[in-house]
Amino acid sequence: MKNYISRTTAKALIAAIFTLFAFNSNLFAQDGAKIFRANCATCHASHTDQKITGPGLKGVFDRAPKGDWMKRWILNNEKVIKSGDAYANKIYTENNKQAMNVFEGQLTDKDVEAVIAFLKAPPVDAPGLNSTSTVPEVGSEGEERSAKVEPLYIILAFIVIIAILLGTFRSIRTSMQNAANRAQGLPENEDITFFQEARNWMKGHRRFVGVMLIIIGFMGMKSCWDACYNIGVYYNWETQKGYRPEQPIKFSHKLHAGDNEIACQYCHSSVEKSRHAGIPTVNICMNCHKGIQKGPKYGDKEIGKIYEAAGFDPAKGTYDKTKESPLTWIKVHNLPDHVYFNHSQHVVVGKIECGTCHGDVKSMTIAEQKAPLTMKWCIECHRKTEVAMQGNAYYDRLHKALKEKYKGQYDVKMTVEKIGGLECAKCHY
Amino acid sequence: MRKHYRTIKFAFVSALTGLVLAGFTSCGKRDDNSPGVEFMPDMYRSPSLEYYQTHMVDGQVEMNAKQPVKGTVARGFIPYGYENTAEGYDKAGTSLKNPLTAKSREEYEKEGEVLYAKFCVHCHGATGAGDGKVGAKLPGAPPAYSGTLKNLPEGKIFHSITYGKGLMGAHNSQLTQEERWKLVYFVQKLQGPKESAGADSTKTTAPAAATSSTTAKTH
Repeated sequence: MKNYISRTTAKALIAAIFTLFAFNSNLFAQDGAKIFRANCATCHASHTDQKITGPGLKGVFDRAPKGDWMKRWILNNEKVIKSGDAYANKIYTENNKQAMNVFEGQLTDKDVEAVIAFLKAPPVDAPGLNSTSTVPEVGSEGEERSAKVEPLYIILAFIVIIAILLGTFRSIRTSMQNAANRAQGLPENEDITFFQEARNWMKGHRRFVGVMLIIIGFMGMKSCWDACYNIGVYYNWETQKGYRPEQPIKFSHKLHAGDNEIACQYCHSSVEKSRHAGIPTVNICMNCHKGIQKGPKYGDKEIGKIYEAAGFDPAKGTYDKTKESPLTWIKVHNLPDHVYFNHSQHVVVGKIECGTCHGDVKSMTIAEQKAPLTMKWCIECHRKTEVAMQGNAYYDRLHKALKEKYKGQYDVKMTVEKIGGLECAKCHY
Repeated sequence: MRKHYRTIKFAFVSALTGLVLAGFTSCGKRDDNSPGVEFMPDMYRSPSLEYYQTHMVDGQVEMNAKQPVKGTVARGFIPYGYENTAEGYDKAGTSLKNPLTAKSREEYEKEGEVLYAKFCVHCHGATGAGDGKVGAKLPGAPPAYSGTLKNLPEGKIFHSITYGKGLMGAHNSQLTQEERWKLVYFVQKLQGPKESAGADSTKTTAPAAATSSTTAKTH
């Protein structure tokens, strides 16, 4: 009996210790993951070969010297290098003598042990911990281009089918009538063509044909008139969407500006300094995508195009200038060359929000033109927009002077029109 | 014979309505990739070279945007004298000082905050704790200004914005030197008051903190 109890207790005890230990080491590694993310991950990838600033740490324990070398290295790599350690000096020169931060005083011995436990443990899929971790596929939200059958083709096919059917009926009827005539001993019908028959019919229905022709003529004129409205206006009346060409990279403004809340000016940084808002150069993409190597929808396929353009090798983390190739983005908002438009004037001086002209870009999966960009549209806005005069010393003076000059004569709003916003030469010169 | 004509009439009318309908749909229909009809395209697209486009020189396609001629700088541009190396970083930390002193520190901090909201906040977070939305997606979140980077001297902050550091990319193409120095003021505000006992940069930060606080008082 005693023996039996002791055996079970021993078993239970062993099991308990084992689970506790496993659980504990797991927790320990989790702590390490947190510490790693806060202190190391800006320069090191934990379970891959990806080089960020420092080398990727996959298989680092096979490469590095055994014993407490790793702990000493993490705490104070300078000391290890200065002590003349062969391996330490080797990796120091291999990484272009870019010194690692010294963590002595910031991390305790226990912290470092936790980090080492985390690195030794198999990779866990924590968000953002491993840049190469699989990202869950996002459902096909947002608009996508779908292959739709155009109604025009359906109508054309319908007409062709009807014509074929009518032709067959006609020939069947003629031959049957002829057969009946022959049986009765009557002469056969004259064999006239369809067009002769149609002409005969039209001669007999002059009024109807005339009215139809007039109606059709008016409809044609109307559609021509409508088509004229489309000239120079980039708008798809069928899908009710503006011009939205397919770009070389499936870049989503919704993901970047909407979900990730990146300011418009981060990428279009010249909007406040120049006439153009600017299409970002690839180095601005790389500011974030050096680290973020997989997208939520297309994985590394679309982001890979950035790397191709930048000549960037994501595995090594190095750039090759000879492999650079420019991305040919397609300009969505086009103004004719004979129109002058200045972004900085509107954004900085006029304090116009980006969305006033560009619409809710933050919800656009495919960049799309919202405003028609016609002259009518420009002028309408200049007529009704009041000049933002608060805190602008130039207008303080001007406005004061004008108020005194026209005292009691006018009670007008100070719109863009009033300061010359409708003059031809403001935009056309 | 009359029946005969009625069928033809039906065919005629249906064909005509069909054609009219087809005409209507084709007028509004346009490909998403096509910019549509242009009236007088030579006024839309003049022969002068436009930005972000290409042109042909001797049968070779060249970009309209060019690098500046070697050895020249843009008007008003002051080259940054520290190299993008570990030594340059340390040197900037010890000897580079914020040249913006014309306005008060508070004013610069305010201007810096506006820039911070456009150029930094998505990674570094509103309080500089490294909790921005993009920062969360990076393999490593940016370190907190009031934590690991609490004692970072202003020269090193400026150097890091200019050339990038670790996962952070270079921001010198987006921000002028003046804007970067305004950001330095705001980042220093987020760092909070400096500690005298720090691991990394105590020797360099102590005088830097002293000078910056005196400039704030005197100017």
